[in-house]
Amino acid sequence: MTTAPEKNSRVHDLLAAVLGGMAALLLATSPWNVDTEGPDPFYKGPLIFPLIVLSMMTLAAIPAWVRLLRPPQDSTWHLDGRGLPVKTAVVLGLLIAALMGLVVIGLEASCAGFLVVALYYLGRRGWVQLVVMPVVVTLLIVVVFKYLLGIFFPTPLIMDWMGG
Amino acid sequence: MWHNLAVGIGAAMTLANLASLTFGTLVGIVVGILPGIGPMVGMVVLLPFTFSLAPDVALSMLLGVFCGGYFGGAVPAILMRTPGVPSSLVTSFDGFPLTQRGEAQTALSAALLGSFGGGIISVVILVFLAPLLAHVAASFGSPEYFAAALFGVTLVVMANRDMLMQGILLLGLGLWFSTVGIDGATLSPRFCFGTLFMQNGLHIVPVCLGLFGVGQTLLLVESRILLTEKMNLARNTLDFSRLLVAAKYWKTLIRSGIIGTFVGLLPGTGSILASFMSYEAAKRASKHPEDFGRGTPEGCLASEAGNNAVPAGAMIPLLTLGIPGEALSAVLLGVFTINGIYPGPLLLVKQPVLINTLYFSIFLINIIAFLMLALWLRPFAMIVRVSPRVLAVNIMLISVVSIYAVNTRLFDAAVAVFMGVLGYILLRLKWPIVNLVMGVVLGEMLENRLRESLSIGDGNPLIFFTRPISLALIVLTLLVVVVPLYRDRRNGRGQIAGKRA
Repeated sequence: MTTAPEKNSRVHDLLAAVLGGMAALLLATSPWNVDTEGPDPFYKGPLIFPLIVLSMMTLAAIPAWVRLLRPPQDSTWHLDGRGLPVKTAVVLGLLIAALMGLVVIGLEASCAGFLVVALYYLGRRGWVQLVVMPVVVTLLIVVVFKYLLGIFFPTPLIMDWMGG
Repeated sequence: MWHNLAVGIGAAMTLANLASLTFGTLVGIVVGILPGIGPMVGMVVLLPFTFSLAPDVALSMLLGVFCGGYFGGAVPAILMRTPGVPSSLVTSFDGFPLTQRGEAQTALSAALLGSFGGGIISVVILVFLAPLLAHVAASFGSPEYFAAALFGVTLVVMANRDMLMQGILLLGLGLWFSTVGIDGATLSPRFCFGTLFMQNGLHIVPVCLGLFGVGQTLLLVESRILLTEKMNLARNTLDFSRLLVAAKYWKTLIRSGIIGTFVGLLPGTGSILASFMSYEAAKRASKHPEDFGRGTPEGCLASEAGNNAVPAGAMIPLLTLGIPGEALSAVLLGVFTINGIYPGPLLLVKQPVLINTLYFSIFLINIIAFLMLALWLRPFAMIVRVSPRVLAVNIMLISVVSIYAVNTRLFDAAVAVFMGVLGYILLRLKWPIVNLVMGVVLGEMLENRLRESLSIGDGNPLIFFTRPISLALIVLTLLVVVVPLYRDRRNGRGQIAGKRA
């Protein structure tokens, strides 16, 4: 359940305004973003639905824009007191790196590497969690995806580079 | 009919289907027990694995997660006052006081019997009600379908009306996501921004996997470790003699199962309301209403029967109208459409074997979930001791690898990561993320029905008002919007709703 201070945070208005702004921009540019060439009348065409949806979003964001420009007296930027999500951002960065790693260094190295680094960063120190778990989870992933599901993962780029 | 039923039972009893639903139930119980994860994460993580399975087997697996999650959610609610799934919060009202009195086995017996009974009652109602609704829906044309979908979506939006504007924005965003890519009717590219990748559209799998598989687990990275030292069970299994104590409340069980099924049938209501309504009804009907909240097995039984009746209840509009009531059944709808099966009134006629297989699979899932939890109660309960952060990194890795593996395209995984960030922000702000999922899943159907309806009416939107069923549904939709807002304003709650956008 959301508490009253959380609900009154201006962060809600900021996000609503950003989404509404994006919708307004897409609405204004939709004739260029949707290919409308064809014999169909407008109501059968591909533009009518996005126009309705984007208009609805833009209208829904108007109160947020107004409140961002004229904030109520009791409004603050305080959200939930949990601070900036630094840990989350770092883990997300590692996840993106692991994703790139799938192409560059391959499935096995990428999965094991992500788990070791992420778990170490999150304060895990025991050898079971830093060595055994990454190896077991990586093995499971390889067995399930490569052997049980028979999915072909492209050869890692590093192999090509090493092979000349 | 009997032939189809027999064939359906036969299909449900095949080794592949049994293995699939058992595995799904196991995953469901585990993710249900783990606070902060829940059946949605379990379903979306398993989603890419279902591509290689037959539709009935895939759906049985996901239904196992759906139902198993509600079974599992009661365990930490009773033992630690930490609900595994939100709807089990109500179970903790009486479950935790019973645990404090040393009667955890009584509470768990009542909860498990309630879950089992609620699940079975709802399947029986599903079997009888679905054909009736399908018969009514058989006369639906595009305007009626559009109006029904609009009604369903409006119910979902209005269920979170304290965040009305956010709900509309998210629904709109989901609907817009559904328009990205090649338009099926005209083959025109839309919102592709000159890229080839975007022409495939934003598929439901990377979107849902990102929102929940990545977003929810990113949130888990910040979570604190649960205090589980006090959690203790005297024995490994359920104390079966305590089931007799719970069975005394059989009237409550039947009533709660019926309430849960009908609440699940309505879009936007969800399992929390089912639990609350069943609990309140049991309290009103009880000879000892003063015991509720202090620790009575009847409260645990009512709450769990109510929430576990929701999955089968939610299947009724899903199968007969193709309208999901909440995020979990929206994912199930996605699985149907991925396999080229379009739920609607004709589904019961065209695919009777599949439907009967699903009916019987839900029945089996309830039996298997009950037995699993009853026989391995302590091992399952101990799962809550696993660190949420350790779980989080493992789940997010499996999520992105599985989405990459579907087409071995980095673009899909990038979409999942982007949706993960969006999901994290929305979950942290507690915006109604279900609206976004509903938009993505229902977008294509809503758009197609709108365009077909306008074509029937030569572009005149009055077509929706000239047909009795669609007119009735539009009037109902308006009432669903106007009446609660009027009531809120009259009660002073309208100020809160109006303040937030």
